[in-house]
Amino acid sequence: MNPSTTSAREGAPSAPEQAAALLAVAGLDTGYGDTQVLWDVGLEVRRGEVVALVGANGAGKSTLLAAISGLVPAWAGAIRFAERDITHTGAERIVKQGLIHVPQGRRLFPGLAVEENLKLGAYTRRAGSPTALATDLERVYTLLPKLAERRAQAAGSLSGGEQQMCAIGRGLMARPALLMIDELSLGLAPNIVDTILAAIDEIHRHEGLAVLLVEQDVQIALERADRGYVIENGRIVSTGTGAELLRSTTVRAAYLGE
Amino acid sequence: MPNAQILVNWLLIGSFYAAVALGFSLVWGIMNIVNLAHGSLLILGAYVAYFAFTALHLNPFIGIILAMLALFVVGWLIQYIAINRVIRAPLLVTFMLTFGLDLLITNLAQQFFTANNRAINSSLAGVNLTLGAIVIPVQNVLAALIAVLLTAALSLFLARTRTGNAILAVGMDRDAARLMGINIARTYALTFALGAALAGAAGAMLAMTLQFQPVDAGQYTLFAFVIVALGGLGTPWGALAGGLLFGLATTLSGSIQAIGPGLQTTVAFAVLVLVLVLRPRGVLGKAFYS
Ligand SMILES: Nc1ncnc2c1ncn2[C@@H]1O[C@H](COP(=O)(O)OP(=O)(O)OP(=O)(O)O)[C@@H](O)[C@H]1O
Ligand SMILES: [Mg+2]
Repeated sequence: MNPSTTSAREGAPSAPEQAAALLAVAGLDTGYGDTQVLWDVGLEVRRGEVVALVGANGAGKSTLLAAISGLVPAWAGAIRFAERDITHTGAERIVKQGLIHVPQGRRLFPGLAVEENLKLGAYTRRAGSPTALATDLERVYTLLPKLAERRAQAAGSLSGGEQQMCAIGRGLMARPALLMIDELSLGLAPNIVDTILAAIDEIHRHEGLAVLLVEQDVQIALERADRGYVIENGRIVSTGTGAELLRSTTVRAAYLGE
Repeated sequence: MPNAQILVNWLLIGSFYAAVALGFSLVWGIMNIVNLAHGSLLILGAYVAYFAFTALHLNPFIGIILAMLALFVVGWLIQYIAINRVIRAPLLVTFMLTFGLDLLITNLAQQFFTANNRAINSSLAGVNLTLGAIVIPVQNVLAALIAVLLTAALSLFLARTRTGNAILAVGMDRDAARLMGINIARTYALTFALGAALAGAAGAMLAMTLQFQPVDAGQYTLFAFVIVALGGLGTPWGALAGGLLFGLATTLSGSIQAIGPGLQTTVAFAVLVLVLVLRPRGVLGKAFYS
């Protein structure tokens, strides 16, 4: 799909794959204070798709996720999610629409227990009955049994891997349509990364969860992704299927040390 | 004075001091605001209770509830209208703003309610239990129990309820809380309103058990600061611990002949200086439950 299709007017008849675009970012500029970090960024995630975003340190990956989730205001461009314009919607209101951001560094609430962190993940689902909440807690505990063992322990006292599980579990508690995960594998042992990825994959396959995966580990991300984007110095410099990008000589040279 | 009497006096005044600091420590711990208007909100609560008793002839304990409700509304308005505008500003800006609010409220109180000393003289005021040589004023005991009850209630509310957890989450990590869908401005307004309501409760207790006038506001802000420095900012129980420690200092110094009673402010300053010298981290504060 080429970037211009993302600006299709609301209500206009659209091709099937256009209607399937869950998240569409177009022409996005943003930054902090006077410093611009992102230039003319375009990116799409379709329903049920796994998309990888890879790039070097400081390229602007986390900033892009923060702009999408509403933590950092957009300077220019447009962000649409589930056919709605969310460019200028505050973070706390975007969550309700099913767009969930698991931030870099996990950002758990350290003094609260694991279960309290998980329940805060479902904070916006006020309408949901207590049984629905209990069912979802059980689902997370089944996917990530380690969390069940630790449910009463303060999140701040968990190991790094357990913290990442808790952060992902907290994200899943919101029943997301799209889960954006920033640096899932950073600093974690491979078997823990596998456990977490398997849990996400389970929900991806059974419930059509779409995933936007930001990774330092380019191999992990592109192997699993339907498509990927490469970001350099705040600009998207290449895009393609995961397999294409993994084969690309520039990607291999820049990120896989070949 | 018998030692047991000192013990009783200490527990009673210590619990009252806990109530003085409870709302102040909540606002500091969650919002990272040192609320210099805390004492004047407390005095407003004292006036609500005072007029509820003198003009409406209501029981002073109902006056506590009225003071809490009235101050909850006042606190919500102050937060929404004034403080939310500077919430991301440096500490000094919120310092200046709450200092200005303190002057404003104190001066308005003086204008409308005069600088006269006030106290509630209810039928309970002179009632004492006597155990041998020990005198236990009933009204103070009830006020102390309410202070402990408020501490427990606040602690349970924060730890056990969805809204309480949201307040704690905002205190620990504002951006992460937004990513849970928690509205920051509304949470801050609720927190500040609760802090003001607790100040109102302490003010109503003040009106029941001691005397007050508008200029006392600054003294109670100072007390709250010292109590939080002593007890730490971690949980509501810190306010109780700090209140009891501070109460110990004022009770002991009051029972020493050479110092005598009526010097609480001096004692407060002395304790503050000691804390600053011995435990400077105590006054830096940390977020609730972190
Ligand atoms: N809160 C902030 N205030 C100011 N500048 C920031 C802030 N956060 C990030 N930056 C700057 O924005 C640029 C992009 O940072 P960003 O965190 O988005 O990169 P990244 O691709 O996620 O890097 P990493 O792989 O290290 O996480 C960097 O130059 C960084 O210094
Ligand atoms: Mg990053």
